[in-house]
Amino acid sequence: MIQFSDNKLKEVEKIVARYPEGRQKSALIPVLHLAQQEFGGWLDVPVMDYVASILKLSPIEVYEVATFYSMFNLKPVGRYMFEVCQTGPCMVRGADDIVSYIGQKLGIKPGQTTEDGMFTLKAVECLGACGYAPMMQMGKHYKEHLTPQRVDEIIEECRKSAATNN
Amino acid sequence: MGRKLLLEKAHVENIRYFDVYRREGGYRSVEKALKSMAPDAVTEEVKKAGLRGRGGAGFPAGMKWSFLAKPEGVPRHLVVNADESEPGTFKDRYLMEFLPHILIEGMIVASFALGSNNSYIYIRGEYWWIVDILEQAIEEARSNGFLGKNILGTGFDCEIYVHRGAGAYICGEETALIESLEGKRGNPRIKPPFPAIKGVWDRPTVVNNVETICAVVPIINEGGDEYAKIGVGKSTGTKLISACGNINKPGVYEIDMTISVEEFIYSDEYCGGIPNGKRLKACIPGGSSVPILPANLLLKTAKGETRMMNYESLSDGGFATGTMMGSGGFIVLDEDQCVVKNTYTLARFYRHESCGQCSPCREGTGWMEKLLLRLEKGQGKMSDIDLLWDIQRKIEGNTICPLGDAAAWPVAAAIRHFRDEFEWHVLNPDEAVKRNYGLAHYADPLEIAATV
Repeated sequence: MIQFSDNKLKEVEKIVARYPEGRQKSALIPVLHLAQQEFGGWLDVPVMDYVASILKLSPIEVYEVATFYSMFNLKPVGRYMFEVCQTGPCMVRGADDIVSYIGQKLGIKPGQTTEDGMFTLKAVECLGACGYAPMMQMGKHYKEHLTPQRVDEIIEECRKSAATNN
Repeated sequence: MGRKLLLEKAHVENIRYFDVYRREGGYRSVEKALKSMAPDAVTEEVKKAGLRGRGGAGFPAGMKWSFLAKPEGVPRHLVVNADESEPGTFKDRYLMEFLPHILIEGMIVASFALGSNNSYIYIRGEYWWIVDILEQAIEEARSNGFLGKNILGTGFDCEIYVHRGAGAYICGEETALIESLEGKRGNPRIKPPFPAIKGVWDRPTVVNNVETICAVVPIINEGGDEYAKIGVGKSTGTKLISACGNINKPGVYEIDMTISVEEFIYSDEYCGGIPNGKRLKACIPGGSSVPILPANLLLKTAKGETRMMNYESLSDGGFATGTMMGSGGFIVLDEDQCVVKNTYTLARFYRHESCGQCSPCREGTGWMEKLLLRLEKGQGKMSDIDLLWDIQRKIEGNTICPLGDAAAWPVAAAIRHFRDEFEWHVLNPDEAVKRNYGLAHYADPLEIAATV
């Protein structure tokens, strides 16, 4: 059963209240973010339908938005997602090498998830961290000035944190 | 050492928090504007200051404000564009991350001038952690009486909300941003009507870049005339430049637009030169959409004058021999960089970010990406270069929003200035996959890197 907790529903109410009355559609993107976090890191169709129902939208209004923005995952993703920037300024500073290093280390290609469901690797476009390249987004935060050694540390940290939080 | 207006206090410890920011003179502009000025007088100061939009287009901000329709009984809105996504640009992030209160302060003053009681910050979804920083700053401002009802007892009410996007470069275009704020796909609207007449929720709306709004703070504190004295010509005030690529000191710098490009690249106060003794090959000085220039045209204009870091000098020579200030995303390429490969990554970026509404952009960006990849992989034909030129020409000017132009310009400039490098890729396919073309005649004409 897909259902926000009471706390999350209060959060939804707060989000909707930022916009004028009758304009609750404006809350769609923030609420989709919330739903993605809450329901396993991606937006399955029943999740989108649920969001449509609480914002009183038709499901298609939700699908068309969810499919437009790159941060909404329409397929399951790993527990940790490495989104490595590959655009010009990062490329100049060796982003390609970082993508292949991570791929090699985890045995996956960009767009794939490790078999244990732990890591997803994505090559993405400019994240606005050009001066701190090469870099990647990992959840809420950026990991910058990446080197193979730094990548090893990050993977290790993820594994440790997953082990303690299980 | 140049004048600093925005980043002057950036290195004060804990400047991110209200108490420190206030102690350092923060929120004076709110007191001054709300207590002693009429809203139109605030707009007048911004006009006098000659402040140009810092997002990329450089449109005079005061003029944009004065276009705002004010029909009786219809709410108006200020929306701050924090969707910073132009490759090479990371200055707004710096402001919001380290000096969130200067944005909140500028927004209160601008909201007062425009009559916006509910103002929004549209921030790109990837700047996820910055949302918390901004919301904390907003809470602090509210609990200190600078936001909410009846601010400082002046009768002016203002709330600021942070709205997080979800990954789309196109939402930096103001009408796409408005669509997105309404909970839709980021498809730019046909103008007119302009947002000043019919913006978010069909209400009159001003969309301004983060840095533009922050600049309102020193303008009100010091007066528009004083602000206009800094800089040169129509490039008034200071500009943030985010420098990246092959330089020793990547980062965000505030310049007063009176320094030369050469000084900016080689001086230790700014980029600190190029690492490992390499020479300068080319530079994209204003974010990925603006024309790339080879070193010789970057440091001096076609007329042989020293090129300066300001709107006029960077665009001297038009697109034939000049470029643009754009968003201030300054990308430096050294002699080891391949212009074809760099242009390919940018074309891929624009293909990924095209919203798909207009066929010249939707189809054209895809074809440019494919052709550039083929050339880069040593599988291109001579006619591909002309085909690329033809495609970019058919995109430019034929789309609803400027993303089409933004995708076309980098390709056009790369072919214009580096055609022999493209041809070399065709003529030497085996070499092209192993090494790059090198410097040819594009090298920095200086014998030794300048020290300033």
